[in-house]
Amino acid sequence: MSNLLSSMMTPAFFFSIIRITSPILFATLGAVIVEKAGISNIGLEGIMMISALFGSLGAYYTSSWIVGLLVALAVGVLVAVIMSLFAFQLKTDIILVGIAINMIGSGGTLFLVKVITNLTEGKPLSSTTSLITKTLQIPTVNIPIIRSIPVLGKIISGHSLLTYVAFLMVFVVWVILYKTSLGLNLRSVGENPNAASSVGVSVTKVRYIAMGLSGLMAGFGGAFMSMSYAMGWSQDMVAGRGFIALAAQAMSAEPLGSMFATILFGFAQAFGIKLSSIGFDSNLASPIPYIITIVGLVIFAITKRSKEAKRLAAVGAAAEKEKEA
Amino acid sequence: MNKKAQLRFSILRGCLAILISLLIATLLIFISAKGNNVGEKLGSTMDALTNLIIRPIISGRGAFATKSFTDILAGMIPTIFTGLATCVMFSANQFNLGAEGGIMLGAFVSSLVAIYVPMGAGIHMIIAILASAVTVGAMMLIPGVLKAKLGVSEMVCSLMLNYVIMYMVKFLMNTKFADKSKGQVQSLPFLASAKVPELISNGSKLTWGFIVALLFVVVTALFMYRTRWGYAIRMIGINQDFAKYSGMKVAAIIVAAQVIGGILTGLGGGIEMLGRETTFNWTALPGYGWTGITIACISGNNPILVPFAAFFMSYLDKGCSLMSTYCGVPAQLIDIIQGVIFVFFAAEQFLSGYRQKLVVRSAQQELKEKEAKEGKKDE
Repeated sequence: MSNLLSSMMTPAFFFSIIRITSPILFATLGAVIVEKAGISNIGLEGIMMISALFGSLGAYYTSSWIVGLLVALAVGVLVAVIMSLFAFQLKTDIILVGIAINMIGSGGTLFLVKVITNLTEGKPLSSTTSLITKTLQIPTVNIPIIRSIPVLGKIISGHSLLTYVAFLMVFVVWVILYKTSLGLNLRSVGENPNAASSVGVSVTKVRYIAMGLSGLMAGFGGAFMSMSYAMGWSQDMVAGRGFIALAAQAMSAEPLGSMFATILFGFAQAFGIKLSSIGFDSNLASPIPYIITIVGLVIFAITKRSKEAKRLAAVGAAAEKEKEA
Repeated sequence: MNKKAQLRFSILRGCLAILISLLIATLLIFISAKGNNVGEKLGSTMDALTNLIIRPIISGRGAFATKSFTDILAGMIPTIFTGLATCVMFSANQFNLGAEGGIMLGAFVSSLVAIYVPMGAGIHMIIAILASAVTVGAMMLIPGVLKAKLGVSEMVCSLMLNYVIMYMVKFLMNTKFADKSKGQVQSLPFLASAKVPELISNGSKLTWGFIVALLFVVVTALFMYRTRWGYAIRMIGINQDFAKYSGMKVAAIIVAAQVIGGILTGLGGGIEMLGRETTFNWTALPGYGWTGITIACISGNNPILVPFAAFFMSYLDKGCSLMSTYCGVPAQLIDIIQGVIFVFFAAEQFLSGYRQKLVVRSAQQELKEKEAKEGKKDE
């Protein structure tokens, strides 16, 4: 046990928490944006899979990670817009659209990778891991002054470019939601679409934009998965991160709060990896983040409920007082 | 619009959805087809399509493909159960996606009973399957109770449970129950007394489970449309507030819907495992849960339509695997076809313009008939 603790109290462990958190954080922010507009996008998982695939293919065929990243983002937005078409134009339940996208993201991507690359025919598990080389990965950034700070430097510096983008996005999303007219429209559509439309906000348009933004975020997450977290795309590599993001969103609904929830899952996963590295059965360590997710949701629900009860009690007491007066 | 016109419209709409998805499939096959020019590519596309659409029931010599047909029927067994489970849960507006993990858990539990708890023939099989049903029903208490009592999203919760179950089963298999004499991870063989007997012994694994599955289609349909609980489940799905204010115990019904879904899933897991396999050898989630969701969606959450949708999906599955064997088109094409069919069936406004026209036309016709009748009366 002390062995475990001492190996956790290292900069490398905290570094890995940040690294693991990043892709989930992108998806979480995507979930936060759409939920503010009153939509549940459970297709984030599938979008990440599809973006991850096309990002790595784009990088391979153009020999440029920048193009790969842009392809991943474009594909993310495109899939989200197609989902919106079905949801808003053809009035399909958005949850069912999400399930369909996840189906395509899981098996359909494997079909596509076999068809497009033709390299992997005949192998049961196909992937693009042979295609992405070190130079095609999203580069890592060493922050000038911070890198030389003893412990902190090792934790914060040297991450993938997208990791910094992820944490920066927390702020950007907050600005979009609370400091722009788009954000105001978006939140009003989520609160009360009828009221929003009565003051001239185009509800459908705002929802399209919200879905597009969430697709963009999932695109970032997908690109991170295949071009930084791992070398290339492999089947089911997103492994529920899109769903964990939904749970993180459910815990806070705000960019900053859900970031902390995401870090909690990042910690759980880093902890699981650490456990298996010191000889713990990996099948026993791998479910830890998923269990933490459920426990986290329950704790969150209980605290929310007791807060609600307190609020109601306070309102009741105030009413009581008024009566007496 | 009268019932007949409604039915005609639904069928037309369904056929169109299937047609669109097959068109997309054709396009994808064409892209992936072998050949140096368009002509050759078209040829191999046609070849692949023949394998996808015709070969599952008609063999190359033009005869009825019995073995392939029984394969299709056998493939329906687990997905009928997951389809029914999803129908019940989705009818109550509970988007529980735990059938995927549930069927793995059920298959695992029934395997353990089949290996380690010797009993008389017949009763052994039944107990093993029931153990599976009870376990999965209990598992669904987790998302059910958390949703009903605390408002935790049953969707996220059940999705997380799928992963937890998969890893736990893998852990238990690797450490405790694996047959160490075998190269791959598999359990000891099931005792003969626990096997689900075959209906036709031609290697298709078409077992009595198929009959049981059809029986449960009827049972579930009766439950959903002829009992008070079934009515309550459907009513909660239509309007939860109305159900609440008319005095239904909403929380209990939300839990019940998911537990019933779990029991059906567990039955499917046990029957599939003890019918098809001789040892427990699953190392990943089997995918039956997701197919079950597609089936429930195609059948509009109506249990009676589930076997037809399951037949269709199993047919496509067979077609895709033939296509991948003989034409080199990856079998995962089915996931794309499935996704496309899924969204078009779920799309409420798909063909709504045409539907509107039909409604108007039939209303006009009714008016005319009425006028004609009244005209007669006046005379």
